[in-house]
Amino acid sequence: MSGWPKNPHQLGKDHLRYDGPIKVRGAAKYASDMQPAGWLYGMILRSPWPAARVRAIDLRPALGIPGIRAAVTANDPPFNVRYCGEELGAVAGLSKQACLDALSAIKVEADILPFVVKEEVALRDTSPRVFENQPNAGEPREMRTGDVDGAFRSADKAVEGFFQTPVQLHHCLETHGNTIQMRSDGITCWASTQGISSVSDGLADNLGISLDKVHVISEFMGGGFGSKYGAGIEGGLAARLSKEAGGLPVRLMLTRFDEALAVGNRPSSFQKVRLGAKKDGTLVAYELESFGTAGYASGGTTAGGGGGAGFPAPYIYTVPSTRVRQTSVAINAGSARAMRAPGHPQASFGMESILDEMALALSIDPVELRIKNDPSETRRRQYRIAAERFGWNAKYHSPGSSQGPLKTGVGCAGATWGGGGQGSEAEVKINPDGSVEVRCGTQDLGTGTKTLMTIVAAELFGLEPADVSVKIGDTTLPPSGGSGGSTTAASVAPAVFDACQTALGELASASGISDPRGSNWRAAAAHLRIKPIVARGRWKEGLSGRGVGGVQMAEVEVDTETGLVRVKRIVCVQDCGLVVNRLASVSQINGGIIMGIGFALYEERILDSQTGVVLNPNFETYKLPGAADVPEIDVILQDMPERGVIGIGEPVTIPTAAAIANAVSNAAGKRVTRLPITPSHVLGLLEQPPQIR
Amino acid sequence: MKNFEYARARSVDGAIQLSTPGSRYLAGGIDLLGEMKEYIVSPKRVIDLKLIPDLGRIDTSSSTWKLGANVTIAEIAKSEPIRATLPGLAEAASEVGSPQIRNVATLGGNLAQHSRCWYYRHRDLHCLKRGGATCYAREGENKYHSLFSGNPCVSPVVSNLAVILAALDAKVSLRRGDKEVQLTVPELYSDAWGNPLAHNSLQPGDLIVHVEIPTPKNRSTYLQVSEKSDFDWALVSCAAAGRKTGDRWFEVSVFLGAVAPIPYRVESPLIERGELSSAAIGSISQSLASQATPLAHNGYKVPIAQALIRRALTRIVS
Repeated sequence: MSGWPKNPHQLGKDHLRYDGPIKVRGAAKYASDMQPAGWLYGMILRSPWPAARVRAIDLRPALGIPGIRAAVTANDPPFNVRYCGEELGAVAGLSKQACLDALSAIKVEADILPFVVKEEVALRDTSPRVFENQPNAGEPREMRTGDVDGAFRSADKAVEGFFQTPVQLHHCLETHGNTIQMRSDGITCWASTQGISSVSDGLADNLGISLDKVHVISEFMGGGFGSKYGAGIEGGLAARLSKEAGGLPVRLMLTRFDEALAVGNRPSSFQKVRLGAKKDGTLVAYELESFGTAGYASGGTTAGGGGGAGFPAPYIYTVPSTRVRQTSVAINAGSARAMRAPGHPQASFGMESILDEMALALSIDPVELRIKNDPSETRRRQYRIAAERFGWNAKYHSPGSSQGPLKTGVGCAGATWGGGGQGSEAEVKINPDGSVEVRCGTQDLGTGTKTLMTIVAAELFGLEPADVSVKIGDTTLPPSGGSGGSTTAASVAPAVFDACQTALGELASASGISDPRGSNWRAAAAHLRIKPIVARGRWKEGLSGRGVGGVQMAEVEVDTETGLVRVKRIVCVQDCGLVVNRLASVSQINGGIIMGIGFALYEERILDSQTGVVLNPNFETYKLPGAADVPEIDVILQDMPERGVIGIGEPVTIPTAAAIANAVSNAAGKRVTRLPITPSHVLGLLEQPPQIR
Repeated sequence: MKNFEYARARSVDGAIQLSTPGSRYLAGGIDLLGEMKEYIVSPKRVIDLKLIPDLGRIDTSSSTWKLGANVTIAEIAKSEPIRATLPGLAEAASEVGSPQIRNVATLGGNLAQHSRCWYYRHRDLHCLKRGGATCYAREGENKYHSLFSGNPCVSPVVSNLAVILAALDAKVSLRRGDKEVQLTVPELYSDAWGNPLAHNSLQPGDLIVHVEIPTPKNRSTYLQVSEKSDFDWALVSCAAAGRKTGDRWFEVSVFLGAVAPIPYRVESPLIERGELSSAAIGSISQSLASQATPLAHNGYKVPIAQALIRRALTRIVS
């Protein structure tokens, strides 16, 4: 049962984000804007080799470059590097050009070693090993339920397919990095991060100093998507450079080139799937054998955010008999990190694709097949809502049956996510003049967290949002944890709620006004004279929920002569609990869907087998959707205020690619088997494109 | 980038005089600065052309139009006379880069731009085109590369304007030392067909001054297919132009871009005879397949090129 107001004044309305204007004006200062007195530019020297034994690094020529104040090595030689872009050393100096000159002056002696960058090649016993003393393929993760072979024998139909998803890069618009000042009395770090406390922990640990000497600030940051929890190797290097430079601050932000190499990615997947069902569509048997790579440390504890290249299977569906075998294979490439709904988009693409194949084999409408097999009552309801809004029944046709070279098609897919709240704390200060400050050691990774806190306080105090100021992004504030797993709104909103409730009680007793809210506010606050109220609150059960469902439907147009796919429309029905800021929720859903369009049609990290380099380390060739690629997006928020606040950052990016792939398959009359769905892939599917005219 | 000397030219003669071995001309800078920042080229001297008067003019006063080398891509895309008389040129210009790039990039720079091959542009690689031993693309990741090449390098020409200007029989006027030289568009790129080190036929110190476009061709169009809807390079581009008098067609030409180191002329007796019935168009487009020599990952460009030939010719006919 939710303690949130039944007839809210602020909750659930459209609120422009209050820090929008200062962001637009450039007045909001990000880690990459920080210029503390005496600051130095910092840059990293990266390995140009995918595998090498580094014997010696001579920093002296770098220190001889005019303007250079410090140079450090990433490790003490000898050491191994295992991917193009692994850190060798770093320099700090008065200008970017001085740093570039210094990096090229550093002398590195290394023995170049054999390497492997393609997953299917890395699996072979004869291929070079990423780590000398262990095979590239990790121990497979196996799961079984029921008697799969028997279930397939009993099935009326079985379908199978092989599906691939590429390595996707986070490519946050603000690159990774920090501005760090390390002095004998402590360290100050302006970080671009989704977890100020994990940056603080990491720096203290890395540098061997106690936490009371570490101060981390991240008032604004430009995107993380799961890749920005710690200070990173770049943070440690910047701190050492600062120390080496006598305590001058060092601003070390990665370049766009660096972003493609060393700061995380979504693992690839190669999925061999088999599905068995009864005539009526009931799924009875599922088998998956998959492999993928989370980079050089594939299968390691941190790789991929879920431990390697595995993903949930058979995703959101319940099949009585299943056999799943998933392998993570190491290659000479940068390591994966959690990326917006780790594992789920890959899982969704494979499962929803094979499900559509089954729908065809059984001549059952794809939506009906899902409603028959989806265990979630919420999603089953959402399919009905989405189908109505989308016009599914009128639009769905047999594959490839629309006339002419421009073919239209439709597809659908569903998703799940946990989310939920955790132990955030917040503080509310009511000043004698009636002004209100809300403080929380969270950070806003672009989702509008500050605005959310403002809305909650304004709601509870009966004030306007403009009456409330908010402070976040500082480790001196009440602790709140990282912004990940779609947990921030569900953690922070209840903590602010709790602090406001306590403060309200204190104000009532201090002022003698039983309901000090709204029009009584200033009069009540005036009773405080010189002693403001400061109240602490913490997240508690009952104000937030967890576990959401969502479904999406896509309509596409496929040019069968050129292979070009255009997404015309996406309808999204998303379960979102209590909506705090409707505009921000819809905006976040738009963002998730656009990211899903990128995964569906454009994005892929491309490695070269001959040299081991990333061939597309920029936005020219690593293609992200632009404004012209964005279709009509129709969002239906399925309000369930009784469930409390629930995060929706991740679920909304999951089913988009699967729905688009199904729509392309429906249009083209051939099953899409890999992402991204480029003209090259579509024409490959069609083999001999129809000759019209 | 490396240090360089900056010089500002106030006239074409002045630019030629400032030119020394190892110098490069700077107009919009879209291509040159990118190469300098990646250390692909490190000129000793950069000669800024932007203050040269007259190079920014579009002169339509006679039947051969004259476009100065400093005319920006945005100006070409927006020019009313060009849109009315040479629509293919305006279409090609409007597909270049992004609005920001089009506002800065110039006609001369677009024609003289270097390879966008991702091996050539990679800071840590030294490919054949950069004087190394190997064309990595030939055996490697070549989905954006050439279907036709006369040398081991398979990086294609990517200038949109080259493709349409070739179809319009434009001539490119250069200063080569004291001499004025005029090249056809195919001549401007012919060196790149056989020489892996060449991006075009320009010699060091050559300065593109203007482009002359005859206007008798009263029909023209330009089409491209890219992976993205905007701000992306063409996978394949196609320009078609011709003169229609009554029911008859003369001087029809069709060129493809991004499939060869040169704007690739689609040759067919049907084109020469001006036969553009829908059956003829189908047959012209069909004939391309037998000529191409696709690499491992770029065979899909053949059907795209065929579709674009059909669509471009159908468009000028209708």
